[in-house]
Amino acid sequence: MRRKRLGILSLISLVAVVVLSVGLSAGTSSAGTERAESGKRIFFLPKLIGVNVFTENGKSAKEAARALGETVTYNGPTEAVAAKQVPFIDSAARQGYNAIVISANDPNAVAPALKRAQQRGLKVISYDGDVRKDARTIFVSPPKASDIGAFQVEWLGAQIRYRGEIAILSATPTAANQNTWIKFMKQTLKKRKYRNMKLVKTAYGNDNPTDSAKETQALLRAYPNLKGIIAPTTVGISAAAQVLDQSRRCRRVALTGLGLPNQMRRYVKKGCARRFGLWNERDFGYLATYVASLVLDGKLTGKLGESFRAGRLGTRRVVTSDGNSPVVVLGKPLVFTRANIDKYNF
Amino acid sequence: MTRVLLRLVLRWETLLIVAIVGGGIWSATLSEFFFTRINLLDLATPYVFIGLLAFGLTFVVIAGEIDISVTSILAVSVVSFAQLLDHGVNVWLATAAGLGVAAALGLVNGLLVGVLNLPSLAVTLGTLAAFQGLAFVILSGEGVAEFPQRYLSIGGGYSKQELPHALVLLVAAAFVLGLLLHATRFGRYLFAIGSNREAAHLSGVPASRVRVTVFVISGLMAGIAGIAYVGFFGSARADAAQGSLLDVVTAVVLGGVNIFGGAGTMVGVFLALILVAVLRNGMQLANVGGDTQNIVIGVLLLAAIAAGNLGRAIQDGSISLARLGIRRRGVIRSDAKEAAIAMSVESQTPKGR
Amino acid sequence: MIAELRGLKPQQIAAAAFRLREIGLVIALGAAVVFFAIRAPNFLTVGNWQDIARDVAIVVVVAVGETMVVLTRNIDLSVASIVGLSAYISADYLASHPGTALGVAALIAVGVGTVLGFVNGLLVVVARIPAIIATLATLAIYRGLSFQVTAGDQVSAFQLPDRFLDLAASKPLGLPTLAWFAFAVAIAGSAVLRWTRWGRDFYAIGSNPEAARFAGIPVGRRIILAFTICGALSGLGGFLWASRFPNVDAVAATDFELDVITAVVIGGVNVFGGSGTIFGVVLGAVLVATIQDGFTLLRLSEFWKMFFNGAAIVVAVTIDALVTRRLQDALRRRRAEVLAARHAAAPPRPEAAP
Repeated sequence: MRRKRLGILSLISLVAVVVLSVGLSAGTSSAGTERAESGKRIFFLPKLIGVNVFTENGKSAKEAARALGETVTYNGPTEAVAAKQVPFIDSAARQGYNAIVISANDPNAVAPALKRAQQRGLKVISYDGDVRKDARTIFVSPPKASDIGAFQVEWLGAQIRYRGEIAILSATPTAANQNTWIKFMKQTLKKRKYRNMKLVKTAYGNDNPTDSAKETQALLRAYPNLKGIIAPTTVGISAAAQVLDQSRRCRRVALTGLGLPNQMRRYVKKGCARRFGLWNERDFGYLATYVASLVLDGKLTGKLGESFRAGRLGTRRVVTSDGNSPVVVLGKPLVFTRANIDKYNF
Repeated sequence: MTRVLLRLVLRWETLLIVAIVGGGIWSATLSEFFFTRINLLDLATPYVFIGLLAFGLTFVVIAGEIDISVTSILAVSVVSFAQLLDHGVNVWLATAAGLGVAAALGLVNGLLVGVLNLPSLAVTLGTLAAFQGLAFVILSGEGVAEFPQRYLSIGGGYSKQELPHALVLLVAAAFVLGLLLHATRFGRYLFAIGSNREAAHLSGVPASRVRVTVFVISGLMAGIAGIAYVGFFGSARADAAQGSLLDVVTAVVLGGVNIFGGAGTMVGVFLALILVAVLRNGMQLANVGGDTQNIVIGVLLLAAIAAGNLGRAIQDGSISLARLGIRRRGVIRSDAKEAAIAMSVESQTPKGR
Repeated sequence: MIAELRGLKPQQIAAAAFRLREIGLVIALGAAVVFFAIRAPNFLTVGNWQDIARDVAIVVVVAVGETMVVLTRNIDLSVASIVGLSAYISADYLASHPGTALGVAALIAVGVGTVLGFVNGLLVVVARIPAIIATLATLAIYRGLSFQVTAGDQVSAFQLPDRFLDLAASKPLGLPTLAWFAFAVAIAGSAVLRWTRWGRDFYAIGSNPEAARFAGIPVGRRIILAFTICGALSGLGGFLWASRFPNVDAVAATDFELDVITAVVIGGVNVFGGSGTIFGVVLGAVLVATIQDGFTLLRLSEFWKMFFNGAAIVVAVTIDALVTRRLQDALRRRRAEVLAARHAAAPPRPEAAP
C-alpha cells in the first residue's frame, strides 16, 4: 500500500512539473496569432507549415488582418496530409473562429469537417488547394490553372529544344491544384509543338524535401535518358535543383517548375533551373484574407461578376476560371530567369 | 470501513480520475473554450480510434506480449475497405471485408508468436513495416474520400447534434471487452499466461491457442478502430494512424497495465485514454502543434513508468546505484550456480525487451 | 567457471551463429546482384554502385550504434529523431556561421547525439523503463524538440557552404566520401566489440544479464554506454544526412529507424542480444540497399520496398529463432551430459562461492 502511495505521489508531482512547464510555454502558442481590439477571427490553415511559400502566405495574411482590424491565426499540420488538417478545422470551430481560409491537401477528405464547421456558422474560403464546391464559399486561385500548366511545359521545352523524355515531380497525389495543373500539362503536351517530348513518369515528393530529393534521385537512376523535370512545387523544385547540382547533372537535365526566387537564386545562376516561375506569394495570402473578411461582412457572396476592392491589390472580380467557380484569380504568373531573379525578394 | 475506503481510494483507477480532473483544469487554463458544452461532449471523438486500438493491445500486453503493428493493421484494413468501395462493392460488405483483413493480419502475428514462439517485439516490428508497405501497395499515396453518410456517421456522426456516436462506440467497446477480460475463463487465462507462462502451461492453460487468439483480437480491434478513424477524418489513406502508436501505448501503460504482463484493467485503459484526450484537446484548442503535444504525452508516459518503478524500488528497499542491473520479474530462479551455468540463450521468457 | 563463461561461451555461440549468417548474406547478395544484372539496365555500372554506396553509408553509421544497443538486449527506436535533430542543429549552425570548419559542425552533431543517447541510457537503466517504451517516447520527444528548435523554419541548401555539400558529392578514389565515413565507423565498431573489454561485455550482457552481473560486469554502466554511443553515431549520421539532403526541416529523417533496424536484424544481430557482428550488419545494409536499388531500376513502385523491408525482418527473425533454438537445444544437451558426468565422477560437495 505504501509503495502505491509513493508511486502516486511521484507520478502526480512529475505530471505537475510537466504540465506546468508546457502550460507556461503554451501561453505563447508557437504559430503566432495576430490580435486586434475587436473584429472577426480568421483561421488560416495551409497545407502544411514549415514551408516557405506557406509561411509567406501567412505573413501577408496577417498584414491584411492588420489593415482590416481583424485577427488571423496561422497554423497547420507539419505534413501535407489532409487527415492532419481535420483536427485544426475541428478545433477552429470549437474556438469560435468566424472563418477558415484553407489550402487543402485533398479536396474531398476535408469536406466533411468543413461542412461541420459551416454548420456551426463558420465561413470557408479555399485558396491554392481547392476543396469540394459545397464546402466553401469562394476559391481564391493563383494564376489560371491552364496557364500554369501550359507555361511550365513551354519553359521546359524551350530548354531542351522540345525533344526528349521528361518527368513531373509533383507534391502529393491528392492535392487538387497539383492534379489540375498536371492535367493541363498533359493537354499541352498533346499539341504539335511538343510532340517530341515524352512524359515518362509522375513522381510524388509529398511537399517533403527529403522525399522530393529521393524521388529525384530515383528518377535519374530509372530513366538515364531523362532530359527534363517539371516540378510544380517549391519544395520539389528546390530539392531537384540541389540533387542535380550535387550530382553535377545540371547541364544534362533541365529543370523548371514553380519556385521561390530566394531559394532558387543560387541554382539559377549556376545554370540549374534556367527558367521557372511562380506568383507573388505575399499577395496570395493577403488576397485570400481580404476575400474572407468581405465574405464575413456579407459584402461578397460568391455571385459571378461581383467586384470588390482588395486593399493594396486594387479591384477584383468573382469569375469562373477553367470551369471552376466562384473564383477570384490572383493574376498572371511571374517568370524568373538569371536576368531578373535579383529583382525579387521572397 | 476505513480500510475498504482506503483500498478504493488508492487504486490506480482513482488516481487516473484525479489526473483527469487535474488535466481538465490545466486544459481549461490553456483555452477558454475547453469547458464549453460542445467541446466536452466531443472531447474524445478524434481519439476514439486510439482507444479502440489500445483496448485490443491491452489483451496482448496482459498476456505478456506486445504488438506494435496495430497501426499498420488499421491502415491495411482501411485501404482494403476503400478499394473495395471504390470498385463498387456494397459499403457494409466492404466493411466486413476490411474487418476480415484486419483479423487475418492479426492471425499472422498470432501464428508467428503463438505457434512458432518468435519474440513478439521483433515480429511485430517486422509486420509493422510489412503491413504498412502492404497498405501503400493497395492504395499507393492516394486517398479515397467519398463515403456513404451512414458509414461515416459511425465515427463522425452525432445524435441530436451533440452526442457523438464515436463516444458511444468507445464506451460500448470498453464494456464488452472489459467483460471479456475480467469475467470469462479466457480472460483468466490471459492473466495466468502473462504472470508466468510456464506455470500456466503446466496448469493446463492452452497457451499457444490463447496467444494466437489475443493477436487476432488485437487485429480485429484495429479494424474496428479503422471504421472510427474514417468516420472522423473523412478519408482512407495508406498512412492512416501513422504516428499514433505513442498514444496507444501510453493509454495502455498509463491505464495501469503492467508492461511485463499479468496485470491490468480495461477501466484503467479507458480512463487513461480520456486523460490523453483531455490533455490533447486542451493543447489543440490552444493551438499547440501536434509535435509539441507529443512531447507532453511522451514525458507523461515516461513519468508514469518511472514513478511506478520508483515506488516499487522504494518498497523493495533496493535503491542503490551500485547495483544498477536489469531487474526482471517472474524469472524462475534456481540456485545461483544453476543460474550461472545456465547457458547464454537459455531464458526464453520474453521479459527482456 | 564464471571466468570461462564471461569471455568464452557467448563468443562460441556467437561464432557458430554468425558464420552461418554471414555466408547466407553473401549468397543472398550474390543472387540479388546476378538477378538485377540480368533484369535491370545500368545495374552493373560504376555510377549505380556509387549510388548504392551513398544510400548505405548513413544507414551503416547509425546501424553500428544500434547494434551495440541491440547486443545488450535493448533497442533504440529514437535514432531517427536524433539524426533529424542533429542534422538540423549542425546545418543551422553552418548556415549561420559560414566560416566554420566542417569538423566543428560534425562535433556539434555528435555532441547533440551523445547527450540524447545518454538520456536514453538513463531512462532505461536508472528509471528502469523498458527500452522499447523509453525509446518510443523519446522518439516522439526528440522529434517534438526538432519542431521547437526549427520553429517552423528550415535550412535550405543554398544557405550551406559548397564544401559541406561536396561531402555528399565527392568520390575520392572512386568511393563516395560518405562511404568512407561508413567504412571507418564500421572498422572502429568491429574493433571495439572485439578488442575492448567493454565491447565484449555487451555480448555478455545480452546473452545473460544475470550471469553478467554475477561475473562482476557493471551492467548498468555498460548499457548506458551502449545507448550513448548509439546516440553519438546517430549524431554523426545526422551531420552526414544534412550534407546529402541539405534542405533540412523538422521532419528530416522520419521513419529512418526502420532502415537502420532492418539492416541490424537482417545482418544477424539477435534481438535477444548476445550475438551479431558489424560485418553482418554491413552486409545486411548492403543487401537491403542493393535490392531497393534494383527495384528502382526496374521501376517498381516504391511501396514494394517498404513491404520488402518488413517481410525481410520477419524472415530474418524467424531464421534467427529457429537457428538459435537449435543451438539452445544442442547446448542444453551438452550441459546435461557434462553435469551427469560430473555427478557420476565425484560425490557432491558444497561449492565455494563463485
